Amino acid sequence: MGGDEDDDGIKLYPSSGELPPPLRELLEEGEEVVAVARSDLVGDEYGEKHVVLTNKRLLVLNERLEYEVPLSKITMASLRSYINTCVMALDTDEGPKSVVVFTKARLKAFENLVSLINNLVVGKIPYSLLKRQLLKRVKAEAERKSSKAVLLRLLGLLKPIAPLLAATIVVAVAMRLVNLIPPYLMKILVDEVLTTRAHVEKLAQIALSLLAVNLVNTALGTLNGYLSTKLNVAVANRLRYKVFSKLQELSLSHYDRFTSGSLFSRVIDDVNRIQWFMTGSFNMIFINAAMIAFIGATLVTLNPWLTAIALLPIPIAILGSAIYRRLAARYYHRLWRRWSRIVSIVSDAINAAILVKSFGKEPTFREKFSESLEEYERAQMDVFKFEQEIWPAVGLAFTASNILVWWMGGLQVLSGAMSLGSLMAFTSYMWMFYTPVFSLLENVKSLQRAAVAANRIFEVLDLEPEVEERPHARDLELGGEVECENLWFTYDGVHYALKGVNLRIRAGERIGLVGPSGSGKTTLVKLLLHLYEPQVGTIRYDGVDVREIKSSSLKRQVAIVLQNPILLDTTIAENIMLGREDASPEEVIAAAKAARAHSFIMRLPEAYDTEVGSRGSRLSGGERARVALAAALLKNPKILILDEPTAALDALTEEEVTEELERLTKGRTTIIIAHRLSTLRFVDRVVVMDEGKIVEEGAHEELLRRGGLYKKLWEAQLKGLTRMSAAAVSEGYAR
Amino acid sequence: MHADNILRELKMLDPRHVRVLEARLDEVDVEIEGRVYCGVRPRRPFPYSYPEIVIFYRDEEELGMLRDYRKLDPRSRELLERVLRIIYFMPRVKKILGVRSAKGKYEWRVVTDKGPVTFYTWSRCIRLLRDGRLLIRDADGRVYMVEDPEKLDSKSRLYLSMMM
Ligand SMILES: Nc1ncnc2c1ncn2[C@@H]1O[C@H](COP(=O)(O)OP(=O)(O)OP(=O)(O)O)[C@@H](O)[C@H]1O
Ligand SMILES: [Mg+2]
Repeated sequence: MGGDEDDDGIKLYPSSGELPPPLRELLEEGEEVVAVARSDLVGDEYGEKHVVLTNKRLLVLNERLEYEVPLSKITMASLRSYINTCVMALDTDEGPKSVVVFTKARLKAFENLVSLINNLVVGKIPYSLLKRQLLKRVKAEAERKSSKAVLLRLLGLLKPIAPLLAATIVVAVAMRLVNLIPPYLMKILVDEVLTTRAHVEKLAQIALSLLAVNLVNTALGTLNGYLSTKLNVAVANRLRYKVFSKLQELSLSHYDRFTSGSLFSRVIDDVNRIQWFMTGSFNMIFINAAMIAFIGATLVTLNPWLTAIALLPIPIAILGSAIYRRLAARYYHRLWRRWSRIVSIVSDAINAAILVKSFGKEPTFREKFSESLEEYERAQMDVFKFEQEIWPAVGLAFTASNILVWWMGGLQVLSGAMSLGSLMAFTSYMWMFYTPVFSLLENVKSLQRAAVAANRIFEVLDLEPEVEERPHARDLELGGEVECENLWFTYDGVHYALKGVNLRIRAGERIGLVGPSGSGKTTLVKLLLHLYEPQVGTIRYDGVDVREIKSSSLKRQVAIVLQNPILLDTTIAENIMLGREDASPEEVIAAAKAARAHSFIMRLPEAYDTEVGSRGSRLSGGERARVALAAALLKNPKILILDEPTAALDALTEEEVTEELERLTKGRTTIIIAHRLSTLRFVDRVVVMDEGKIVEEGAHEELLRRGGLYKKLWEAQLKGLTRMSAAAVSEGYAR
Repeated sequence: MHADNILRELKMLDPRHVRVLEARLDEVDVEIEGRVYCGVRPRRPFPYSYPEIVIFYRDEEELGMLRDYRKLDPRSRELLERVLRIIYFMPRVKKILGVRSAKGKYEWRVVTDKGPVTFYTWSRCIRLLRDGRLLIRDADGRVYMVEDPEKLDSKSRLYLSMMM
C-alpha cells in the first residue's frame, strides 16, 4: 500500500464533501461527525473501511454500513497489536466486538480514535469540551500544511534579525555589482586606448579605476564575510533556543514516543538546514535576481543577437541537471545509507561498550566495521563514475555556444558592426550571467527543502504539552491528602498500564505499594507527580485537580526518588541541592547522613565536590540511589514518593536506610514502592497492584489473613529465606 | 525532616572548645571539649566550594565538624593548616609554557607555585568550578588549580582555551 506521507488516516471534523458517500444519508438530525478514520485493510486484503465517530454513534462503513453502535453502549475501546497489523476492539453492552483491522501505518490514526472514544465513554468528558479542543487542533494542523504560510512564519520568527539580513543582502549585491565594472573598463581600454592608440592619458585613469574597484571590492568582501558570520550565528541561535526551550517544555510522553533521539537529531538537522538556507540561499535569491537583471540588460545593450545565442545552452543545462538529479538521488542515497551504517556501528560500539566487551564481541564489530567501510568506498566510486558521465555532456553545450558567440561576434567585429572591446566585454559578461541563473534555480529548490525542514520544526514547536497546566492554575500549599479517581493510562495507546485505579491517601498516611513487576506501580507515581497526563481520570491534592495546581508548586512540595535514579553530570553536592538550591553545606551533609550517603561520600577524595560523571555513571547503583534520596530528603517535602529506594542496597545498608526512613516519614504523606516487603514494616497501609489495578489494600496482618496476592508474595519471600537457612542448617549437620 | 532536627546529627563543634595540640604529616592531636584525641585526620567535605569546613575523623568515627576552622585560635589554625596543606596538596598554575599532543595524550609544561612540572592529560581534562577557578586533571589523576584564568598571560590563556 502506498499513500503519501501527509495522509495520516484520520480526519477530524471533516467537511461534508470529505465524508464517505454512504454516510451522508445515515446521519441523523443533530448528529455531528467527530472523526473519520480509514483502515488500509479489509480482512487480509488491502482495501479501505471507514470508521466514523459521531457525537452519538460509532459506525463502520465498507461501501455500505457494516456495523454501528451507540456510544452509550460502549464501555471501552482498545487496540491489540500484532507484527504488522492491529485490531481495534470495543467492549460493549452486548459483549466484546472486534471492529476493524489495519496495518501499523494507521496505528496513530486509530490510537487517536480510541482515545477520543474513551474520553467520551470512559472519561465522560463533556462532548462540547472535547469539540473545542479538537477544533483548535484541526486549525493548527491546517496552518502547518500550507507551505507559503510556513515560510511566512519562518520569516516572522526571524523578524528580529531582519535588519541584519537586509544589510547582508545589500552588501552582497553591491559587492557583485562592483565585480561587473572591470570588464567594462577593459572594453574602454581596448576600444578607446589600445585600438585607437589615442587618449593615452586614459590608460592611467583606467588602471587607477581598476585599483579602486579592487580596493572597494576587498572592503565589501570583508564586510560581507563579517555580516554573514553574524547572521549565521544569529539565525541558528534563535532557532535552537526556540526549539530547545520547547523540548524542555514537552511532556515525558513525547520523549517516549520519539524514542532514541530521533526527535532530537531530526530537529537539530532541520535547524542546520534552515540555518544553511537562511545564510546561504535566502540572500542569494535576491543577489542572483539582481545580477541576472543587471547583466542581462548589459548583454542586450552590447548585442541583442549574441545574447540570444548565449542563452541557448541554458535550457539544455536545465534538462541535463533534471536528469542528473533524478539519477543522482539513487547514487547519493546509497552513499548516505552506507555512511549511516558506519555511524551506527561506531555509536553502538561506543554506547554499548560494556555489552560488546562483556560478550567478547569486539572482533565481530571490527569485521562489520571494515566491511561497511569497503561498501562505502565502492558506493563512493560509483558516484564518482556517474558524475564523470553526465557533466561533460552539459559542458559541451556551453562550449558550443561559446564558440558560436566568438564566431558570430568575430564576424561582426570584422565587418565593423561591433567593436573588439564590446565583444570581449560581452564574453566576460556572458560567463558571469550563467552563474546566477543556475544558482537561482538551485535557490528555488533549497527554498522548497527549507520549507519542509521549517514545517518539521514547527511541528515540534506546535506540539502541545500533553500535561497541560490550566491557565488559571495556582499555587497550593499541600496538606498531604492525595486522591486518584478512575485513572486509566497507556504509554503506547495499545496496552493500558493503569486500568481504573482508585486510591485515597490521608494526610500523613504512609502507604506501601507492592505488586508484581510491570503491574503499574511506577506508572502510578509518575502520574501523581503529573509527569504524564492520564487518558482518563483525575488526581486531586486536598480535593484540587492536579491540573489546577501550578507544576512548580507541585514539584516543590512533592519529592520523588525514581527507581533507577539518574544524576546530573555535576558534583554530588549539586545533585543533592537539586532538592533545594539555597541549602547550606550543613544541610547538604545532614541530608546525606539521613540517606546514609555521607560516609561513602567522605571516602571520596573530593568528597561532596566530586563529579559524578554523565548520568552519575561514576557511582554505583546503590550510591546513586542514596544521593537521589538525599536530594528528596533535603527538599523536606509534604509528600514523599520513593520508588524502591533500597533496591540497590545491601541488606545492612537497607536496614539502616529503612530505620532512617521510618523516623523521617513520621507524619508525612509517604508512598514507598518495594519488592522486599520487609522494608514496609512501618507503613500504615499496604496497597497491592496487579496488572494495572489495585487488587487489595489493608494492614500487613489483615492482608495475610485474606490470603490473596499479598500473601503469595509474602510467602514466596519467606520461602526463599527459610530454604536458605534450612540449607545452612543441613550443611552444619553434614560437617 | 526539619532542618534543626537533622542538623543535630552533625555534631557541630564550637571553635572555642577545640584546640589543635600537634600536627604530624596528615594527622593532628586535638582537644575537643576537654577530651584529647590522638591521630585525628581532618577532612574537607567540600574541598573546593567550602574549604573552610572541616570534619575530624578518628579512623571511621566522626568526632565533629567545624563550620569554619579559621575561627580556631591562631596556633591551632596554623597547625591544622599545616596538615591540610599536605592532605589537600594542590599546585596552582602560574604560567603555561606549552601544550602539545604526544601519543594520544597532551603534554603540559607549566610553572606552578610549587615549581615547574610536566604532566600528561587526556583530552577532557579541565573542570570549571562554580567560582571561575579551573582544575586540570592529569592522566595520573593529579589535579592542578588555575586560580584566576583571566590573570594568566595571554599565551597561557590561549593554551587553556585550546583545551577547553
Ligand atoms: N516509558 C514507557 N513506555 C512504554 N511502556 C512503558 C513505559 N514504562 C512502563 N511501561 C509499561 O507499563 C507497564 C507498567 O510499568 P511500570 O513501570 O509502572 O511497572 P512497575 O509496577 O513499576 O514494575 P517494576 O516493579 O518492574 O518496577 C509495563 O507493562 C511496562 O512495560
Ligand atoms: Mg517500577
